[in-house]
Amino acid sequence: MNLASPFSLALGTIVALSLLGLPVGHAMIAGSVLYLWLAGLDMGTAAEQLLNGMYTSYLLLAIPLFILAAEFMNSGPIMDRLLRFCNALVGRWRGGLAQVNVVQSIIFASMSGSALADAAASGRLMQTLMTKDGRYTASFAAALTAVSSVIGPIIPPSIPLVLYSLVSDTSIGYLFLAGMVPGLLIGAVQMSLIAFLAKRRNFPVEPAVSLRELPGITWQAVPALMMPVILLGCLYSGITTPTEAAAAAAAYALLVSALLYRSVTWTGLYGSLLTSARTTISIGMLIAGALVFNYVITIENIPKALAAMMKAYELSPLAFLLFANLVLLALGCFLEGTTILLVIVPVLVPTAQALGIDPVHFGVVAVVNIMIGLVTPPYGLLLFMMTKIAGVPLKDLVREVMPFLGVMIGALALITFVPDLVLFLPRLLGYKG
Amino acid sequence: MMRKAAAWLRRRAENVAAAMVAVMFFAFVVQIVFRYFFNFPVGWTSELSVVMWLWLVLWGASFVVKEREEIRFDLLSESAGRRTRIAMGFVAATSLLVLYGASLPATYKYVTFMKVESSSYLKIRMDWLFSIYLVFVVAILARYLWILWRLLRGGEPDQAEATQASSAL
Repeated sequence: MNLASPFSLALGTIVALSLLGLPVGHAMIAGSVLYLWLAGLDMGTAAEQLLNGMYTSYLLLAIPLFILAAEFMNSGPIMDRLLRFCNALVGRWRGGLAQVNVVQSIIFASMSGSALADAAASGRLMQTLMTKDGRYTASFAAALTAVSSVIGPIIPPSIPLVLYSLVSDTSIGYLFLAGMVPGLLIGAVQMSLIAFLAKRRNFPVEPAVSLRELPGITWQAVPALMMPVILLGCLYSGITTPTEAAAAAAAYALLVSALLYRSVTWTGLYGSLLTSARTTISIGMLIAGALVFNYVITIENIPKALAAMMKAYELSPLAFLLFANLVLLALGCFLEGTTILLVIVPVLVPTAQALGIDPVHFGVVAVVNIMIGLVTPPYGLLLFMMTKIAGVPLKDLVREVMPFLGVMIGALALITFVPDLVLFLPRLLGYKG
Repeated sequence: MMRKAAAWLRRRAENVAAAMVAVMFFAFVVQIVFRYFFNFPVGWTSELSVVMWLWLVLWGASFVVKEREEIRFDLLSESAGRRTRIAMGFVAATSLLVLYGASLPATYKYVTFMKVESSSYLKIRMDWLFSIYLVFVVAILARYLWILWRLLRGGEPDQAEATQASSAL
């Protein structure tokens, strides 16, 4: 690659400006403008790509709506009932409250599409519950909340899968279905590790809930538990488009929390709208930057060149998947995941397809990988968030996270090398891949 | 006084952003109800919500989200000393000003050229719909001029806080 070519200079500028601390979205727009300038192209193209790209990506409207739905569901009364339900299910085991933390994350994952939102929603509450009377150490509780939140965007709905669907032209419906088994698998390996640790570290047991109470507790949680059914029902019955399904889920969440649980106030409603707006703005700026920069990458033909190169090496699909996983895991230690998903992953997709790797499978592998990146030091947003919520040093948190990181990477390997685990459900519902 | 006025303006900008999400949500509900319950598909709702999405992001990036709340990479700037940090902020802000500034004339030309088209359902002229991008570029130029001015007077760049960045992952 010519180091003085407009593309190299633009790429260098984006990397340099990001390292200097400029917001990544602005760095991408500025670098792309530099490219257009040096290549003698119309600099108005940046505006054109950004505006038309945003104006036509209807699917992205699902992002604010999913955030809104999770915000409506994230209220005291609903959380209490869900936790009581989880406790009735797994509290009686050794390490019961730790298991509750994971089961609660799995349930919340089916209502929310964001790991950070999950950690923010349940983090403080779980921390208080788990450290009360010194039952668990603060760093173990915080580590567990961080790693269990990773499940959030793997089980549908999922904001990262919406982004992948955008950059890879893959059906969001099939992607959502494909995330289901891997999400549950991650939950299962975490629960197994807890069961193993529970014996060695003698974790406490919660008082068993009698069988007679179980139906009542379940009944109270049912309206909240129905939300994923509404969402997926709308999606797969073809009643609504995927974006409309997100709106329907948000509307259902609003109705349930307002009428059944009576937990909606005007202030709370405004707060939910503003949270949704803020998150949408931040991620929207990254999408905007990526739209402009991906245009540059496309006119430079980078993805095709990479695909041709990889094909020339006669790389096997398995070797490529391994390579992609290692690259993404390494990048995840240092970069924010949305950037990886919007800039690096689209460069890899054409190669994956040229090698005969299923795009839905590849998308789920990439997203699981990037989610693991949220808990890998030194740069892991979930780690930062939990050190702040729990007030434990990053060092202690990382030590407790490590064993979980090990089993999750094991699960990632399984998902990577056994595509049927991922594709089984979508195929059952008509996916031809 | 200035600080108070700025805080008041920011809260009003937040009101607008929250209202845009509300309109988007409401438009979707209307769309589903009309099509599914009255068997009467309407097109203007999806156009309205997509306009809200575009405006929300660019309006918000201009007036709602503070620089330190945006998603950025700060491992390097956090480990640097004070003087290095100021120098880094200076180079970043100047580069952004030069590049955004250089693109402004061509951007203005593109946006005003779009007056030849109108949106499909609401028949709004596209130069109006896309004018938010000009607002965005000018607001960002103003913001970074201000950041630059503060750096030159010896102020430090804002420290990013990872937990404040509203990443949607």
